[in-house]
Amino acid sequence: MEHFLLLPVCFPILAGVMLLLKKEFRTRNALLVYVGTVLSLTGAFACYAVFGIKEGLTLFYLTEEFPIVFRLDLLGRYFSLALTIVWVLAGFFSFDYMAHEKKEKRYFGFYLIVFGVLLGLDFSGNLITMYLFYELMTLTSLPLVLHAQTKEAIMAGLRYLFFSFAGAYMALFGVYVICRYGTTLSFTAGGVIPPAVLEEHRTLFLAASMLMLIGFGVKAGMFPLHAWLPTAHPVAPGPASAVLSGIIVKGGVLAVIRVVYQMIGVDFLRGTWVQTTWMTLALLTVFLGSLLAFREPLLKKRLAYSTVSQLSYILFGLSVMQTEAFAGALLHVGAHAFIKVALFLCAAAIICRTGCKRVDELRGIGRGMPILLWCYTIVSLGLIGIPPLSGFLSKWHLAVGALSAGIPVFSWLGPVVLLVSALLTAGYLLPITMQGFFPGEGYDASRFAGKEPSRLMLLPLLIFAALTVILGCLPNALTDAFEAFAAQIM
Amino acid sequence: MNAFWLFLVVLIPCVGGVVTPLIRWKKRIYCMLYLESLVIFNSILVWLLLVFRPQEAFTLVNFTGNLAIAFQLDGLGTIFAGLVSFLWPFATLYAFEYMTKEKHERTFFMFYTATYGVTLGIALADNFLTMYCFYELLTLVTLPLVMHTLTREAILASRKYLYYSIGGAAFAFIGMIFVITYGETSEFILGGVLDAAKLGGGKNLFLFIYVLSFFGFGVKAAICPLNSWLPEAGVAPTPVTALLHAVAVVKSGAFAIMRLTFYCFGAEFLRGTWAQHLLLLVILFTIVYGCSMALRETHLKRRLAFSTISNLSYILFGVALMTPLGLVGALSHMVFHAFMKISSFFCAGAIMHQTDRHYIHQLDGMARKMPKVFAIFTLSSFALMGAPGLCGFISKWNLASAAIESGGLLSYFGVAALLLSALLTAMYMLNIVIRAYFPKTDFDFSSIADVKDPNWMMLLPLFVFAVGIVGFGLGSAPVTALFTAVAQGSF
Amino acid sequence: MELIRNFPCLSILLSMFSAILSSALKGRGARRLNTFVVTAVGALSACTLYFTHVTGQSYVYVMGHFPAPFGNEIRFGSLEAGMALFFCVIMLLSLNGGRKKLAMDIDPSKENLYYIMVDLLLSSLLALVYTNDLFTAYVFVEINTIAACGLIMIMESGRAIEAAMRYMIMSLLGSGLFLIGLCMLYDMTGHLLMSNIGSSVRMIAENGTYVIPLLVTIALMVVGLAIKSALFPFHAWLPDAYGYSTVSSAAMLSSLVSKGYIFLLIKIIYRVIGFDIFVNSRIINVLFVFGLAGMIMGSTSAIRENDIRRMISYSSVAQIGYIYMGFGLGTSAGMVASVFHILAHAATKSLLFISGVGLTDVSGDHKEFIELTGSAYRNVCAGLAFTVGSLSMVGIPLFSGFISKLLFSQAAVQSQLKMLPALIVLAVSTVLNAIYFMKTVIRIYTPVTSKYESTSMKKNVLYAATLFCFVALNVGLGMCSQPITDWITQGLSVFA
Repeated sequence: MEHFLLLPVCFPILAGVMLLLKKEFRTRNALLVYVGTVLSLTGAFACYAVFGIKEGLTLFYLTEEFPIVFRLDLLGRYFSLALTIVWVLAGFFSFDYMAHEKKEKRYFGFYLIVFGVLLGLDFSGNLITMYLFYELMTLTSLPLVLHAQTKEAIMAGLRYLFFSFAGAYMALFGVYVICRYGTTLSFTAGGVIPPAVLEEHRTLFLAASMLMLIGFGVKAGMFPLHAWLPTAHPVAPGPASAVLSGIIVKGGVLAVIRVVYQMIGVDFLRGTWVQTTWMTLALLTVFLGSLLAFREPLLKKRLAYSTVSQLSYILFGLSVMQTEAFAGALLHVGAHAFIKVALFLCAAAIICRTGCKRVDELRGIGRGMPILLWCYTIVSLGLIGIPPLSGFLSKWHLAVGALSAGIPVFSWLGPVVLLVSALLTAGYLLPITMQGFFPGEGYDASRFAGKEPSRLMLLPLLIFAALTVILGCLPNALTDAFEAFAAQIM
Repeated sequence: MNAFWLFLVVLIPCVGGVVTPLIRWKKRIYCMLYLESLVIFNSILVWLLLVFRPQEAFTLVNFTGNLAIAFQLDGLGTIFAGLVSFLWPFATLYAFEYMTKEKHERTFFMFYTATYGVTLGIALADNFLTMYCFYELLTLVTLPLVMHTLTREAILASRKYLYYSIGGAAFAFIGMIFVITYGETSEFILGGVLDAAKLGGGKNLFLFIYVLSFFGFGVKAAICPLNSWLPEAGVAPTPVTALLHAVAVVKSGAFAIMRLTFYCFGAEFLRGTWAQHLLLLVILFTIVYGCSMALRETHLKRRLAFSTISNLSYILFGVALMTPLGLVGALSHMVFHAFMKISSFFCAGAIMHQTDRHYIHQLDGMARKMPKVFAIFTLSSFALMGAPGLCGFISKWNLASAAIESGGLLSYFGVAALLLSALLTAMYMLNIVIRAYFPKTDFDFSSIADVKDPNWMMLLPLFVFAVGIVGFGLGSAPVTALFTAVAQGSF
Repeated sequence: MELIRNFPCLSILLSMFSAILSSALKGRGARRLNTFVVTAVGALSACTLYFTHVTGQSYVYVMGHFPAPFGNEIRFGSLEAGMALFFCVIMLLSLNGGRKKLAMDIDPSKENLYYIMVDLLLSSLLALVYTNDLFTAYVFVEINTIAACGLIMIMESGRAIEAAMRYMIMSLLGSGLFLIGLCMLYDMTGHLLMSNIGSSVRMIAENGTYVIPLLVTIALMVVGLAIKSALFPFHAWLPDAYGYSTVSSAAMLSSLVSKGYIFLLIKIIYRVIGFDIFVNSRIINVLFVFGLAGMIMGSTSAIRENDIRRMISYSSVAQIGYIYMGFGLGTSAGMVASVFHILAHAATKSLLFISGVGLTDVSGDHKEFIELTGSAYRNVCAGLAFTVGSLSMVGIPLFSGFISKLLFSQAAVQSQLKMLPALIVLAVSTVLNAIYFMKTVIRIYTPVTSKYESTSMKKNVLYAATLFCFVALNVGLGMCSQPITDWITQGLSVFA
């Protein structure tokens, strides 16, 4: 049965490759049917794999010691589930959105391939497999960034590439070290390196951990290697930037969790300079991201900066190395995925329908596109952390975890920064709602009249808004599971 | 098989190549058939030899004293000979198509085929003197290939190539004299042949000599600062650049250094000395330098040549770690890099052949017109930068784990240099790929309307190499096992 | 077998009398006589070589009826005989190779004069090789100088005469120094026969008397011969003398005349001074340093040269440096290497001169490189031969130059102090050699559409055959060096 795990990974990749190699479809509808079928089937396969498959699968041996292994644990299941939901919905959103863009076949081809690759990343059962899919993720998602083929897009693509590989190779150093000294490569609660070895090569391991944190942190937009994110995400086509910002960045988070909690082990890192540096960087990024977002006039770029900030919430939660904070971080993974995708999809819909890219052009938009703006408002509130929406809960857990971790300075500094950042978040997200619904006296909002997007575009938005609410209201099962999981791996 | 065959496989291509221009061929195709069958026949012979390995050595002539020209086949030679004999028939096939646009074809093939024999001579050499002789010969037989176009540029490049190579050999010569004088024997024996009794106390002197001859052989392996001949030698026809300046010639340099380090001076003797540290420093610098220069370069073949410089130093890095694992890494990169670089060069050659474009900025949008070539180029780029699942990843893996195994600050820096270089590689290779696949929106496709993929003679080698890249990447276990056996001397 | 003992003396007399006879003959007759004599002397030397090699001893042949210490002696072993044979071969080949050019270069009425000089040269060389009497050696040194001057001057161009004058002055300076040394030795020992001087010198050295005079004597003789054989820095006469004379002369001067002096020096070192005393004197360090300097400076001058003949001449300076470097190492292995290099260099350098003239002939007699472009296509044999010569000079395996390089460096490794300088200079010098020789090779193989006519092998069979012999000689020395080094070692062992 375990071979079923291959299906959700390989099927979309093969389908995507076939799509790329195929001649143009005769009608656009044929293309959409093809893509829709593949997306739905993959979604179904993935769901079945997530809920139905218990065993792991050792596919083959890359070298003598290193097998390619797929195995789903709680983390993998959670990430793949979020991924599947977002990917399928954003895919359907693309159907209408991409009508305005060229080279749809290529776009959808890579969209499918990346889906498979990301599922592979989430399913991976050991370090090598994860690294394999991690690199593939960068490479296959690159065409999405490049899609527009403008000078700007190509420069952004190169920058994306440079930063991603810089990160990947920094992390690779750590991978080398772990593979050399580790007893196994499979993800194991509490780490795979014998404590005696850890102590013997203390400096080496600390340096390697730091490099891996920064390296994988690149994908999650952590300072100081965050500069690619606000450039690369906005130039992609709308839905692509949504998934880039909502999902692909989570690849970095997943890798960080795997490495820190399941390879090196938190016991070794706790209280070292690595943890301190990590927390500092994360908090710095949280604050800096919000601040930059606050000052950014372009909507998509503002959202990208917001991603930088929000991802570091998660990283901060992980860096505290405490069960509740860990659970909060994981909750925030899902919450942020849905919210940020929804936000980007809103921006995409606005751009696609009206062509407005700057925030100050959106005054009065609520008149013409009320449903869209309502969705936007709900998820924005979720991101700010207004109860009972999902963002509140995750942040709550983060703050509580940080406070109870008992780390000097950071225990209180963390929550303070999170709070300040939440205020800033409100500051950069809510003005759109306010000005959208209340453009002020004498403002002519007629140019937005009747621009409400099609139902195919609205439906995913509504679902995401609903998910935000649901996650916020019924979090207990998840929180408990996460805390149990955290207790197990710490 | 009889050891005499070792000499024959060296001789056949040399003689067969030399007679090529002497025969009056009625049609071009006869000449081509003759050469291709010659090369294939020789390769089959080599592979038979590799399988049915002659145990003893074959002595051809005695020079002076106990110095002889002799051939034998050991583990290291097996790998190099196997690599070369696998690549040569395909490269010859490719060259037939490529050379249709060049002049003096027969002279070209004369030297091209003779080089095969000479390279095998290096691989199969039994002692230092034999290797040195073939090493010098290699310079001479490849010189006309670099000069081939006879333009001013080519002449200057070939002069430089010659001066560098002969100069390098002159310093390697010093090492040879020392090994002959102070060794128990001048044959290659894993672990070194230096006679402890004769050494006396002058260890530093020997290390100095080792460094000298390392740099001497390092010229062919394009170690910094002796590398500037390599990019300039790119004026040669692409089959030469691809096979010789990415595989046969430059790897001969690396191969000679392996012989020098592991089979003459002995890794035990050198490990942990200042010589090792000095070499590691230079090698690390070269790794980074080659990549940075490649990034700056706008000429396609020159960029690949700089990439070769950097990659050769990967191999040397493995050697300079002076551990069996390091040798495993070096060997794997020697083999795998051959596949990656030859395919990227062949792609570049195919582009030049089909479109006569040499600069990277001229490659906009080409991927649509030459999909097969660019697919393979992309694959080789991914492999070169070490994407997992392709062979480049494995060799880097082997090198890095050897470095970490051996410990020491410089080794860690070495891993860092490898990774930095991988990053730069990603930039300079993918830059081309992106350009070819994603031209600017205003790109005018009518300007490349009549560009198309080359014919099967060019595509078949490319396809085979691509299979190699993926195959080695996914199933490297048996190959690595072989390398390990060689490095431990059990093969 | 007793008959063979007479051969050395016979060959000297044969060549001397042929010189006298030639003065009565016309050009063509003199040429034929000369060819016959050289061949005959070669055959005689071959017999002597065989004889001495089989017996493995050296023999003394008393001239006239005065026994030692008053009489005059010839002493020969396998080394001497072999050297004589080799000189004959090179001379024959050089004359054949340059014959056509000679006819163009000199006035037909002077042709017999030229061959007189050649005969004299041969006789003096043989005498230098064979004699066991220091004063006889001096006499033949002078004869040699005069003959060589004649060979240079025969072209009668202004530059050739100037070069000959220069050569004359420098040579006489050298012979003068040699003579002074000779006188001082006679003063100290009272002997003129080499073996006798040798035993006396050994006694003097053991007694510790005459330390400084002995040192001065050694210095004078060595410097005198070094000037004559153009050791750096006494090489100023060489490029002109070799560059502006006719090609046969240049080939013979570079490969025979200077080698004759060097051979005499070896003889003096072994037989007169004694190898150990020589090694213990500080002179060898001077020789070593000048040898190294010559290796570098000769090559750098050659690189700067724009004239192919002068370039080859400067290369001789470097090669002479190799030989003296071998002396300077002060080991018997170094001596063997030097003697081997005498052979290798003689074979290679005359090949280069002869093939060089083939190239300049098809380039309108221009010696500048720019005119030589593509000349290897116009004269295929000369091009190939020049390439072989160049490769040998650079020290590519399979050719003679490689073996001498190998022997030199093996000898160098045995000496703790001189090892590194010798090895590094060898390597650097290889690079420099490669620079100028390979530059020329590439140049002559660069095709151009040229205004000059090409020539084919069939037009000048003799020339092609000569080149072929030279190449064969070169490859032979390179491939089968084992018997030759054995022979040299054996010859040196019975030398003293």
